Amino acid sequence: MSNEVYAFALKSTLDEIQNACPDVTSNFVFKDGKIIAKNKTTTEEDATQTIRAFDAITERADALGDVENITIQSAKGKVNIANMNDFYVTTVSSKEADEKYVNTLTRILIPIVIKLSEKIQPASTDNETETLDQTEPGPEEDYADEATEETYAKDDTTEETADETEETNETDEAEDQSNQTYYEEKEEETASIEPETYEEPEQAEPEPEYDDEPLLPEPPVTQLIVENLGGLLVPSDTVRVDQDIIKQWNELYGDNKIKEVEVEALNGKTTRCKFKNIKKSKDSGKGIIKMPEKIQLTLETQQGELVTVKPVIE
Amino acid sequence: MVKKKQSQENATAITVDEDELSANSEENETYKDLTDKLANIRKEPGVIGYIIRNTTSATIDLKEPEKLVEYAIFSSQLLDSSQEISDQFELGDVTNVLIEGKQNKALCMNIEGNKISIFMEKDADDTDILKQISP
Repeated sequence: MSNEVYAFALKSTLDEIQNACPDVTSNFVFKDGKIIAKNKTTTEEDATQTIRAFDAITERADALGDVENITIQSAKGKVNIANMNDFYVTTVSSKEADEKYVNTLTRILIPIVIKLSEKIQPASTDNETETLDQTEPGPEEDYADEATEETYAKDDTTEETADETEETNETDEAEDQSNQTYYEEKEEETASIEPETYEEPEQAEPEPEYDDEPLLPEPPVTQLIVENLGGLLVPSDTVRVDQDIIKQWNELYGDNKIKEVEVEALNGKTTRCKFKNIKKSKDSGKGIIKMPEKIQLTLETQQGELVTVKPVIE
Repeated sequence: MVKKKQSQENATAITVDEDELSANSEENETYKDLTDKLANIRKEPGVIGYIIRNTTSATIDLKEPEKLVEYAIFSSQLLDSSQEISDQFELGDVTNVLIEGKQNKALCMNIEGNKISIFMEKDADDTDILKQISP
């Protein structure tokens, strides 16, 4: 991953560390001998000289293994260079600095920021690349020089003169021709994209599908107890649900008609069926769902067991 | 301090300044005191060895004598580079440096002109060792 990815996040973090602890006089982060980020008080020279001295130490530190931490205690302050996730974080603090506080801040914040940058950045980088691929028409100069290059290509095929400007070798010619083909293809691609993105932006931006269908809330899931529903005139594909629950659904989805419900048993089996409200007032408000035997068999459930019910929005 | 003046022919004239002689004996006393302390520290678990040197003397005690040169160059480089970093940030003279590697660590310090490097294993108590050696 590019070092630039971390630069902004780390710079902000370094500045904040210094704000939180003014005894930190300077701090910066480096990796592979390059400065990744530095706070506002650290000069380029300070960082470069420190990195150079650090490299001189690590070159001779074979006896210790890879260097993880250096703490230099001086008469007027302290310098700490610590390895965090392959980055070296340098913290310079005055003698008065609270060592524990500075260490806690640095050793917690920096690794978190590095990890977050690693996690967040790949997705956004990919998106950026995709966007560029679709919209970027290529360097402007390529198009500006296109006519000139075409002329050269034609000249090469029709006549070979002693003119110095036309003294191109075979590879150059091949490159020119392939470039020309590329530009032509690119131009076609751009032309095919242009009507959507540039010529008719008013039509391209508001997509009618989204305008017609406003976002609907997730269907609420209600847990109910199964009760048997029987009788000669009872349809076998319809369950009966409490009137209050149906009211809630209607309020939630307004004009969207709810014709069916999805019922899920505890064993995970689901089925869609029609629904009506519970007729008998004594059964309403009890948290039950009246279910014909056929549906109970489909769901492999029975009276007294729990099922979840949610409306199916058409 | 003892100054040596060499003539081109044969005689070697030695000029002895009484003040310098007394300073030299003080330096030697500090050196001897530090060497005694280091000898005790060397017996502690996890301590690999030490190097102590001043302008006139040096004592080295290492578990791996074959690595003597490597350790000596490293400790010298560490103190010099640390002083460079300290100067860059205007922090004055370096009093001590702790460097931790993946396998071992080293504690280097400068006590009254005596440059000391103590090498130890990673789990050794460097804070305690620093306390013992500090004046």
